[in-house]
Amino acid sequence: MKHDSTPVGLLWISPWIVGFLLFTVIPVSMGLWYGFTDYTLLEKPIPVGLANYARMLQDDVLLTVLWNTALFAGASIVIGSILSIALAVLLSKPARFQSFWRAAVFAPSVLPVVAVAVIFKLGYDADTGMVNSAINTTVGWAGLQGPNWFGSRFWAMSALVLMSLWAVGPAVVIYLAGLRDVPRQLYEAAAIDGFGRWNRFVHITLPMISPVILFNVIIGIINAMQVFAIPVIMTGGGPDRATYFYSMYIYDQAFSYGDMGYASALGVVQFTIILVLTLLILLIGRRYVYYRGA
Amino acid sequence: MTGTSASSTITRRTALGLFAAAGVGYIALGPRRSSGSRDGNRIVVDYWEKWTGHEAAAMKKVVDAFNQSQGRILVNYLTMSGIDQKAKISIAGGDPPGVLGLWDRNVPFFVQCGALQPLENLAGQGITREYYAPALVPLLFTGSIQVCAPSTPSSVALYYNREIFREVGLDPDAPPETLEQFDQMIRQLTVLDDQGNVMRAGFLPSDPGWWSWCWGYFFGGSLYDQSTGVAHVDSSQNIRGYDWYQSFPKRWGLERMRRFQGALVDNPSPYRDFFSGRLATTLQGPWLPMFMEQDLGKDVFDYGACPFPVPADLRQPGSPYGPIESDVLIVPTGAPDPEASMEFIGFTQTPEMMELLNSGHAKPSPLAESSESFRKNHPNRAVMMHEAILRSPNGFTTPRIAEWDEFGDALGSAIDAIGNLRSDSATKPLQRVQVEVTEILQRAAARRRRRGQPDPWEGTGT
Repeated sequence: MKHDSTPVGLLWISPWIVGFLLFTVIPVSMGLWYGFTDYTLLEKPIPVGLANYARMLQDDVLLTVLWNTALFAGASIVIGSILSIALAVLLSKPARFQSFWRAAVFAPSVLPVVAVAVIFKLGYDADTGMVNSAINTTVGWAGLQGPNWFGSRFWAMSALVLMSLWAVGPAVVIYLAGLRDVPRQLYEAAAIDGFGRWNRFVHITLPMISPVILFNVIIGIINAMQVFAIPVIMTGGGPDRATYFYSMYIYDQAFSYGDMGYASALGVVQFTIILVLTLLILLIGRRYVYYRGA
Repeated sequence: MTGTSASSTITRRTALGLFAAAGVGYIALGPRRSSGSRDGNRIVVDYWEKWTGHEAAAMKKVVDAFNQSQGRILVNYLTMSGIDQKAKISIAGGDPPGVLGLWDRNVPFFVQCGALQPLENLAGQGITREYYAPALVPLLFTGSIQVCAPSTPSSVALYYNREIFREVGLDPDAPPETLEQFDQMIRQLTVLDDQGNVMRAGFLPSDPGWWSWCWGYFFGGSLYDQSTGVAHVDSSQNIRGYDWYQSFPKRWGLERMRRFQGALVDNPSPYRDFFSGRLATTLQGPWLPMFMEQDLGKDVFDYGACPFPVPADLRQPGSPYGPIESDVLIVPTGAPDPEASMEFIGFTQTPEMMELLNSGHAKPSPLAESSESFRKNHPNRAVMMHEAILRSPNGFTTPRIAEWDEFGDALGSAIDAIGNLRSDSATKPLQRVQVEVTEILQRAAARRRRRGQPDPWEGTGT
């Protein structure tokens, strides 16, 4: 007689099933539904069909936040990826106190984001901040001065992008693991063929860690598309909405302006954008990513 | 085989037992709608308020007085940050506190959504519209129904450093009465160094910048017509007001102004430039002397205060201009014991309690009349001037509409552009906001029609 172990298995995973239903399936389903309603949070939702989605087509503020979010995501992912790969390559070399340096690169990412944002806000102060003091001390002799970071659209966005580099630690750790997997004999063969360091990096290291790059870029996109706490604390979305991001707009619509219906629809669109971008990158990855075992 | 089957049967029983236990646990301990709590025989009313420090201490005196005045109800004061958003969530979740301390600007949204209960008991106490300072009445009543009660109101005025006035040869007992006089005084009070850097500013409209929505009102404008529901953000008066606002970075230079405002001063408070003498005059609320005493010591700072000056052609002696706002108390829909909540609010509205509370906040009384002893012992020597603004026909408030938060954010973005000289004048940014705000108002009107709600300008009965 064959023993059916399904009930026992279901029992063991039932805490997860209950949690998944309560905290994911039901809220997501309700969010989808609210996206088709006029809902103020304090009144009953009234179905409005596609009105919330149609409104997005004429929403200038939405265009602004989409552009800001795309700009931030693009800049922080490109610069962050270059920096984290460079750090990983450096940290993969034998060096004294190697463990310390690795820990030092990772440590900032375990700090509470609110505390970090407050510290950076002080650091970016145009007159008394550490960033401008460093700039003025090092290149002040050439007549260059630190900018008013939060007073101009360009510099406010730049400040946030630079700050995002603070938390490259987890990506560096993943790159380090990827680098350890690159076979030594490939470097030795390339050295015999006369490849220099740069060529070895471009033609061996990068292709061999391309699956890791793909993974980090996807995670980076998901994080950057949802950026919220840091700009809320550091800039409040200003100046003139230059650092007003998609998630901040959703929050304002839901809790400040009392339009939970529109906020839910915005949330659905945000999810769709992230999903489409992820699929697009996976598609591109098929052409450019090299899987050793495949 | 048999063994396997038996163990499977036992596991199923165990599973059923566990699910049953979880169900019973959920019923016994899970979330439920609050039906009010008790402390012995007393009904406990939770009261959420935003204040901390001396402001909370003043309200706690009122709460203590209420708790001692009777033995039936016990009010439990709880300080809460982000109270307006938490209030919405608690009401939506069906478990709000008994009393909520909000800002007046929150009230129209709560009224529109039916999220608060009319304070019907106050009329029985003889509290009618005439009981309150005239400028506050529109904030408290919707038509003839009182929807909230004032806790601490304020009017905003021009504070000045009398010592600096004397230093530059101005009479500290003759503050500016018109904007033209004030502009002249600002020039006299301002000190620039050889390079044109601002060492002392006569006035800065962006310091502290808490009432940046108000500049058009001082020039006879308004943002919104309460009687027709139409926005007037780009009216000529508003443009004039914000051009004046922009004249400061234009006259001193944006970079110099920024350096002045960003300079390190040995005082981290928002009043630092005024307290340190770097700013000769400032737009502030009546609480300022309280913070002076706290930061600098009692009677150390020689200050004067007057209504903010307006252009000579608008000036009406005896009817000063100024922004008005108020902290208010509401009973949210779904409050466990609304009668008990209203009884507490009724207690706070007595002249004695209003004066006790507002003395503690250094604010004027919200009532139509205040006592001689209140004015005499008040921590702000300019309290009568603040009361005069509360009773003036020229006192003004933010538009009383449910959409003000979104409206205000749109305006704030334009003021950012104006103040940072991203536009030659205020015209274009204000025109942009007018378009944005008109869309917001049209959307709100469509929503009201969908829900069968009246337009806010119908039946305001002011």
